Amino acid sequence: MAGNLILLIIGIPWLGALVVWVIGDQRAKAQHILAVIFSLLSGIASLILLAFVDSQPAVNFTLGSAFGNLTFVPDGLAVTLTVIATVIGSLAVLFSVDYMRGEAQLGRYYFMVLFFIGAMAGLVLSGNLLFTFFFWEITAFCSYGLISFYSDDPKAVAGGIKALIITQVGGVGLLAGTLIAYANLDSFQISDVLANASVIPAAALSFMAFSFIIAAAAKSAQFPFHTWLPDAMEAPTPISALIHAATMVNAGIYLLARFYPAFASVPGWRTAVIIVGVISALITAFMALTATDLKRALAYSTVSQLGYMVYAIGAGGVLASQFHLLSHAVFKALLFLTAGSVIHAVGTRDMRRMGALSAKMPFARNVFIIGALALMGLPILNGFWSKELILEVGLEHSPRWAYILMLIGAGLTAFYTFRMTWMVFFGTQREELHVHETGTAMKVSLALLSIGTFTTWSFFGGLNKLFSASLPFHAMEEESTLEMVKAISFAPATWIALLVIALGLILFFTLGRKVALTESPRWLNSLTESSFGFESVNHFVVNTVSKFSESLRVTQTGQLNWNILGIIGALFIVLAVLLWGGA
Amino acid sequence: MNFSPLNIILIGIAGLLGVGFYGLLITRNLIKVVMMLQILIKAVVLALVFAGKISGNLGLGQSTAATVIVADTIVAVVGLALAVQVRRRFGTLDVPQISTLKG
Repeated sequence: MAGNLILLIIGIPWLGALVVWVIGDQRAKAQHILAVIFSLLSGIASLILLAFVDSQPAVNFTLGSAFGNLTFVPDGLAVTLTVIATVIGSLAVLFSVDYMRGEAQLGRYYFMVLFFIGAMAGLVLSGNLLFTFFFWEITAFCSYGLISFYSDDPKAVAGGIKALIITQVGGVGLLAGTLIAYANLDSFQISDVLANASVIPAAALSFMAFSFIIAAAAKSAQFPFHTWLPDAMEAPTPISALIHAATMVNAGIYLLARFYPAFASVPGWRTAVIIVGVISALITAFMALTATDLKRALAYSTVSQLGYMVYAIGAGGVLASQFHLLSHAVFKALLFLTAGSVIHAVGTRDMRRMGALSAKMPFARNVFIIGALALMGLPILNGFWSKELILEVGLEHSPRWAYILMLIGAGLTAFYTFRMTWMVFFGTQREELHVHETGTAMKVSLALLSIGTFTTWSFFGGLNKLFSASLPFHAMEEESTLEMVKAISFAPATWIALLVIALGLILFFTLGRKVALTESPRWLNSLTESSFGFESVNHFVVNTVSKFSESLRVTQTGQLNWNILGIIGALFIVLAVLLWGGA
Repeated sequence: MNFSPLNIILIGIAGLLGVGFYGLLITRNLIKVVMMLQILIKAVVLALVFAGKISGNLGLGQSTAATVIVADTIVAVVGLALAVQVRRRFGTLDVPQISTLKG
């Protein structure tokens, strides 16, 4: 049963991708309907899979020695992420019905989205590290194809290629770690790696651990690879919500969480993870402070929140990180989709041109505020509980400086979120924009997501139960939602964090409001525009590579005689090697 | 160096290879390029039979050589046909003048 469900979850979207592509762009209406149906079916199948959580593989194909066994393991970690991918995926597809209406080449769009949803489910469910890598690469390909969806826009093409190249660095890291595991254990099974991590020689294990950090940081847009995510915002907004906020960027967090038991004892690994998380969370919070593009501001906050999850894993709070991942996926998808409906309505992404939209788009305003409050981490909403859980874990198990920096990050989050909301919906109207209210299909998915923002924190107990029952290597204690609520309400960390958040808000309303809205300090602007200098590192790498390949052009003369000389030269080298080297 | 039959064949192979490569290096005429390729291939055919003889698999060497002869006829035909088309299109058979593959 569970095995069939898993094959359905991966197979239905892939089948749908083919069908939508084959029926052709002339029948756009059928494409919309079919895409919604296929993604909803996959979402339903993954919800049913919640009842079959198990630590043992449910699907097992023998593929022979080089590949090992292709297994799919429906354990708590995998199923949670599958549900997030397919359910939010189907909401994003539903949203696309309004957002993408009248666009050309819908077949390509829906093909990529559905192909992505299936691959994401496969990535987290796969119990074979090699196939995790294959699915990982498919998601990178779909992400590239969708960022560059408007292929006549040079910015979109450049953003797509940038994302592809940087995530490939992560792919190389994952492959290197995978091959090291195979070389030492003769198996690609994740459960074997977790069980026998101590058998791997210390040097090889730490190489593997750090290459997985590179993989995770590149995929989840963490420091020092955070520069691709803001440029990925050229994608259609449902894609930004689905791939670049709710699912694909979580693959890195998933990888770290999955292998935490194997790597926790590697010297320096946890500290490295904490440092990556803290730096990512802080510098992108600063960048979000000065961003003027609505989607870029949201992208920076995504990197920042992913930094919180990475930090939580470094501090040992795997459950806290996954809990925040769930909350973040819901409220950030809500924020992105609302931003999408606003952008769709006003026709610009520049927040400086918006303002005072509150009266014209009351529905969008309400749901955006719900999402924004969750992002800030204010009580009752899901973002509050999960962020407090992370900070509580951090207070207990991470160095004090890291905890304090993360607290400052929480204050900054409140500041930039409020700035964003204020610039879009309140304040003075800066420009006369032709506005229309959100469409019906958009409203349905936004309403469902805002209900989720209010309620998903109550799944904590269930999540914890799933995790502790099916993840034998993570050694988790069981805790119900009620106990979590009690613990958080009385923890000092919570009150400190709320104080800092309040401080951020006070700062915004007293001295920051005018400055933050119109123009931020120049030194901060120039720092954030260059991504704290990381953009220039990127440019340097790109320039060096293209200069090197330019200088190689002279070897391609196009002269026949010259090429013949090369062939003869190579022949003589081979002969010489055979004559003298072989003996 | 004694001039046993095997050595003479070896010298023949080396000579044909040398002529072919030298021709390919200096020629600019497309038809001559095809001719030089043919000379090179003849050296290879000879070498195949020779290798069959000294390794004791004469039958294998000969049958491979026969296959290569058939294949290289096709090479010659296609090469000459291309040369005719090139002459029609560019009005010249001079290789550097028709070079469009420059990087």
